[in-house]
Amino acid sequence: MTTKVLVIGGGPAGLTAAETLVSRKQEVVLVEKEDSLGGMARELACKGISECRDCGVCYAIDRADEATRTPGLEVLLKSNVTSLERVNGGFKVKIRSLPRYVTGDCIDCNKCVEACPVDGKAIFAPTGSGRPRPYWIDRGKCLHFKKSKCEKCAQVCPTNAVDYEDRAKNVTRNVSRVILATGIEPTDAREVPRLGYGTVPNVVSSVDVERILNDEGRVVRPLDGVAPKKVAMIQCVGSRSEKSGVEYCSKFCCKYGTKIAQLMMDGDPDMDLDFYFMDLRTLYEPQEDFKRWAKGMKRKVEKKKVPRVRLIRSMPSQAYPGEEGKIWLRSSGETDSEVTETPYDLVVLSVGMKPRALPESLTSPLGVTLDCHGFARCETSDCDQKVLALGAACGPMDIEETVTNAIAAAAIPPKEGN
Amino acid sequence: MKRRVQVVICRTCSGAADVLDVDRLLRVASDAPYVGSAVIVNYACNKKSISEIVDDAKSKEVDRLLLVPCSKKDVSPTLFQAYVKKAKMNEFLMETVDLVGEAALPHRDDPARAQAKAEAKLLAAIARTALLEPLHKITEDMRTKNVVVIGAGVAGVEAATTAANLGMHTIIIEKSEKKLKVPGVMMTKSRVISTEGHAGNYSLSIEAGEKRETLECAAVVVASGGDWSDAERRFIDAAPDSKPLYQLDRDVSEGKTPDGTVIIIDTPDPEGARTAAQDFAWEEALDCAIEIRKKSPATEVYLLFQEMRAMGLAELAYKEAAGLGVTFVRYDAKRPPEFDSEDGNRVTVLDMAQDETLSIAFDALYYASVSPNPDNIAIADALRIPMSPSGGIRRGSIQRGPVTTLRPGIFVCGSAKFPKSEGMARLEGRAAGLLAAQFAAAGEVESGGSVAEVAPEKCSACLTCVRTCPYEAPFIGVAGKAEIAIQMCQGCGMCAGICPSKAIELHHFTDEQLLTEAAVYLRGDF
Amino acid sequence: MPDREPKIVGFCCEKHGIDSVDLAARSGRQYDSSIRLVRVPCTGRVDGTHLLKALEEGADAVFVLGCLEKNCYYDTGSIEGRKRVAYVKSMLSEVGIEPERVEMFNASSSMSWKFSEIASNMVKVAARLGPIGSRGGGR
Repeated sequence: MTTKVLVIGGGPAGLTAAETLVSRKQEVVLVEKEDSLGGMARELACKGISECRDCGVCYAIDRADEATRTPGLEVLLKSNVTSLERVNGGFKVKIRSLPRYVTGDCIDCNKCVEACPVDGKAIFAPTGSGRPRPYWIDRGKCLHFKKSKCEKCAQVCPTNAVDYEDRAKNVTRNVSRVILATGIEPTDAREVPRLGYGTVPNVVSSVDVERILNDEGRVVRPLDGVAPKKVAMIQCVGSRSEKSGVEYCSKFCCKYGTKIAQLMMDGDPDMDLDFYFMDLRTLYEPQEDFKRWAKGMKRKVEKKKVPRVRLIRSMPSQAYPGEEGKIWLRSSGETDSEVTETPYDLVVLSVGMKPRALPESLTSPLGVTLDCHGFARCETSDCDQKVLALGAACGPMDIEETVTNAIAAAAIPPKEGN
Repeated sequence: MKRRVQVVICRTCSGAADVLDVDRLLRVASDAPYVGSAVIVNYACNKKSISEIVDDAKSKEVDRLLLVPCSKKDVSPTLFQAYVKKAKMNEFLMETVDLVGEAALPHRDDPARAQAKAEAKLLAAIARTALLEPLHKITEDMRTKNVVVIGAGVAGVEAATTAANLGMHTIIIEKSEKKLKVPGVMMTKSRVISTEGHAGNYSLSIEAGEKRETLECAAVVVASGGDWSDAERRFIDAAPDSKPLYQLDRDVSEGKTPDGTVIIIDTPDPEGARTAAQDFAWEEALDCAIEIRKKSPATEVYLLFQEMRAMGLAELAYKEAAGLGVTFVRYDAKRPPEFDSEDGNRVTVLDMAQDETLSIAFDALYYASVSPNPDNIAIADALRIPMSPSGGIRRGSIQRGPVTTLRPGIFVCGSAKFPKSEGMARLEGRAAGLLAAQFAAAGEVESGGSVAEVAPEKCSACLTCVRTCPYEAPFIGVAGKAEIAIQMCQGCGMCAGICPSKAIELHHFTDEQLLTEAAVYLRGDF
Repeated sequence: MPDREPKIVGFCCEKHGIDSVDLAARSGRQYDSSIRLVRVPCTGRVDGTHLLKALEEGADAVFVLGCLEKNCYYDTGSIEGRKRVAYVKSMLSEVGIEPERVEMFNASSSMSWKFSEIASNMVKVAARLGPIGSRGGGR
């Protein structure tokens, strides 16, 4: 009976589980649908400048880096589980890996992207800070696969890493356990149209800002590259709501939102920030720390010290466009007795999270049930110890809790025999 | 010492035709001092290549290897292990140099300069490799398979259970007299006083009642939890009948719902001394409030708080509680609730949301927050690990993981880190138990290799190294000079960097090795 | 004006320091080739004499790159690195050499943008100040 374990998902949960299992002498097959490992953490920014702010992003990136060098860990990227059936006390899994069209000889020199004639490109670098880092071609956009037979990228590649003959591969693995670590995706800020995402220029989501910070190191408005001087952050967008997004609290957005605010302010001494919130839920950190930081952020204006950060306990009701790309936010104060309208250069909506949709073809043979929010539970007798769901697929949690969850999961010994 | 370097250049990635000129690199290497052999292989990661390289090494009588590898970092460790075995080379006489990542990829716009830089970097790497010394690691057996857990709370018992399930012998050190069914051994009325030894072979001095005992163990898990008693003292002064939330939780789960008016309160802490405590019990507080309202609709429930930290799915309990008529009163930290000096069962509080002062007569008051355990100071001192600013035990850097501490083999979990719910404490306990058991299961611990060493004749016993090292490796030995305890040394070199007498060297990163590399690299003109 | 390209040495830790350099290179970031990196296990290893000797051997500027403080793999190493740089800066000021020639930086393994910024900062300093002594300071 094999002791191989299948881990579905290569984010912080899957990577930590895989690493912990390998260190417990088990063989692991890790299946990840994206082009690189790291999950959402690939596009999240490190929130520190010279001092760490404990966001946990680098932990996921470090594990992703190690995963490519770990004997006993098979990593399948751009892959999905196509079928799963119970056999002989374990599972027979079929996995389909989509072609990358670029081999492991790729050295990330970026010449292919420069040479690609397609508008918006058809060959891409790995997403964000993900590892490993070979490039990949989107067959749907690539001209080679249409009539033109373009070979510009192959021609410039210094290591002959472009392989148009790459095809999807189907492999079968027999495993004794399956770990579901499929993670989360952000809630859609468009579900809260009154806050202007997608309609009012310079209203962005926290995910957008993380991406910009991760790529550039500082926040600039995506439309015109202007460095914003007056920024608003609005918490709980698409969480804690019956009308839009999700009903529960997404748990990590105050922690990450406050750290994004701190990072943005660190990067620009001329920036002022208004932090709109309902309850300050800085996960596993005293809320006083952020309040104290906010109080300490002051600027000298004509011999007086003026606050640069305001904590406003209110959910703005409306965002509407102003001149020069500014955004006006209408909100009430703490006691709902007055209404103010304030202009900003940039409005950041802190969005929440929801679990990725899991198909029944996966949950059914595994005996995994999804609750009303889509979070995975393993409470049926079918599950026993052979199937485990962990990480944010099971409930809202930040990276550190996800990692703890994943380590703890590896402590459950597999059942012997049939 | 022979000092003959074998330079192996992998053509496939280093060599990509228009990135670097591999043949020129080969010539530069061949002409460099100390080089006994310079070869190109097509795929250094290939098993056949390893045999080629080893044969070449043997025939050219080289004693050290410099590999110019593929950009794929994943190649090197397996290659090295195979090479070490076959060529019988000391593992510390092998180096890699990343020419692609550091001298080619970032300088694509200026290939001539990139090539010149790659050549200079190669020469610098060769110069460093020539200066390397063979080093040996020492393996020491762990004398026990003991895992000591400090604290028999939720996290501690979970850690012990996990470690025991994985085959370790667990000893729980618990300060109180409580009786619990736990795996292994539980020593009650006991405290850790001091620690000797190093990871894998720790020697703890335990005060057990009146006696002193020495306990040997391979790993330690700190699960000292939070503290109710501190908050209790303050509330007893103000509201003599107040009780901790866990008591309400117990009563409610046993079907004893209170009558009249119940208040659940967080930590009003105007001095800001106990800021860490607010996060703890909101899940439990809300669940209790819901149960009470369902079972006894006549009972009024008030929740007094500064921030309603109903995190994650507990938000739904918040909604449900509100829907069942629980009254939520948010107060400002600077205007905390005041207890009537005459009527011990009345509290006055300014409701920030309504901007209205409420005067609530209550029948029962429960406080829903947990302070850091004041014993953490003594425990941190005994184990010599740092504390966090909020009074908990500090977690190691996030690079190391969520339940580690500064010292290898010592882990921390649960409210000892930061107040948290029972469920989370249990999870952390399990994770810490696993890591501790895994550590102990290795059975042996490795040290040595790239470690620091003191030249006693230069040492002025200023104690700077002793104060700087986070791992307590340097100590003043019997000769009155500093010495490095190899089993504690992590190889960071902080002591070597700070020694004012330049008496400490870090093997494998000596001053000569670092400065030679820098000097040769600087000599290259590009 | 200096008649050669700037020479800059960077002492870079083998943990997040070199991880950020590697991520930058493998994200297509470009930076000036004047940067010469020397690896150390931790920036705490860096001695004031290393920084001074590098300047003596021809570097126009020297930097130290380590993990973020509080996330140093060896706990306080990058804090020690910073202290060393601060100490050397004050020594340089005393002998009339511009203290900007020596600098401390921190990065994490997920920062792809930081290293090119570090490189460009140091190249600007080196280009502006030229080799040591070229503007009457130092030797």
